[in-house]
Amino acid sequence: MDTNIQTVLVDEIEGALGGGPPIAVATVTGSGDPPWLIPGDKLLIRSDGTYVGGFGYEEIDTAMIKLAKQSLTGFPRISIETIYVSSDGHATNRRYQSRLGDAELMVQIWEAPARLIVVGGGHVGLAVATFGEKLDFAVTLIDDREDFANRERFPMAEQVLVGDIEEQLNSLVFDQSAHVVLVSRGHLQDERALKAVIREPVGYLGMIGSQRRTQTVLTHLAEEGYDQIDLEKVSTPVGLDIGAETPEEIALSILAEIVMLRRGGNGGRMGRRMQLEVGEDLKN
Amino acid sequence: MSSEIFREIREASEAGEPRVLATVARTRGSTPRKAGATMLLRPDGTFQGTIGGGCGEAEVWQDAMDTMADGTPRLTVVDLTEPIDGDDKICGGIMEVFVERVTE
Repeated sequence: MDTNIQTVLVDEIEGALGGGPPIAVATVTGSGDPPWLIPGDKLLIRSDGTYVGGFGYEEIDTAMIKLAKQSLTGFPRISIETIYVSSDGHATNRRYQSRLGDAELMVQIWEAPARLIVVGGGHVGLAVATFGEKLDFAVTLIDDREDFANRERFPMAEQVLVGDIEEQLNSLVFDQSAHVVLVSRGHLQDERALKAVIREPVGYLGMIGSQRRTQTVLTHLAEEGYDQIDLEKVSTPVGLDIGAETPEEIALSILAEIVMLRRGGNGGRMGRRMQLEVGEDLKN
Repeated sequence: MSSEIFREIREASEAGEPRVLATVARTRGSTPRKAGATMLLRPDGTFQGTIGGGCGEAEVWQDAMDTMADGTPRLTVVDLTEPIDGDDKICGGIMEVFVERVTE
């Protein structure tokens, strides 16, 4: 690989991982048959559409830039995928749509790790933060009680914020990488926190509570003129239905829902899904 | 995890030392790690990160050492569906791993 693009790549990937704008990197992994692309050749595409490198075919570069721009603005983001390309610029991520002789490219999105913002440092908040960190989320913990929001209790958190919940939330910058979980000690705190976040472009917003209690909160917000579209975004009651009872089980249910939405799963049971897939294979 | 790998790549580049990066490009079926998992190999054969522990890592490691030596990128297809010597491989899927030198 070219030394210059290698240096640029490492710098820009580090920048993206450190919180800068996400970037896409396309790498030739299969040269095609007969070979027409060079394995290891790369094209770096930034969020603003500018790029570095290339494959020596203008049609391919153009197709990949277009595709990368879609990937960079899409959600949930596909962090890596294989693209089949023909020399005329035909590009697809479906093997069955690929053509004879297509080369293969690996397209990777580099971005800062997803953030998990947990409001409430009680039993559930502690379990959500603990499991969330294991799942590679950068965790922020917010509570207005210092006994519940401190480094000893939350060593796994990147950030522990103590103080008025609304003020602390307002100090954060929200985007699609932010996953907000409201598990504070009472519905009044959750409602205030919800109001602070509901209009923000977050990737996930979940609020704990029973059907009745959460419905009351949503009704309050609707009466105060919050948009129905924003209210419908709220995952509440929070989590997947796994029959969770303990704080840890509830945390598992919440994170299962977040992972499902990020990865595009359906929350069903694998055993049943596998049976469907076998059926699909028989058809093809 | 990724940040640590890229920090090592940058430091190795600055020191003029080679590194080989193995990236799981695609998987089918049940595999230990999913696409995007990375492993960074050093000239002495030690590495940072994992693309799957026992399941196929040795095959990728060998290819990565070859790439370290000749600089040629490789796409290693690790088939975890075939039993070897009567032992069932417990992972059961297929993994494509792209191996490339990431320093000059």
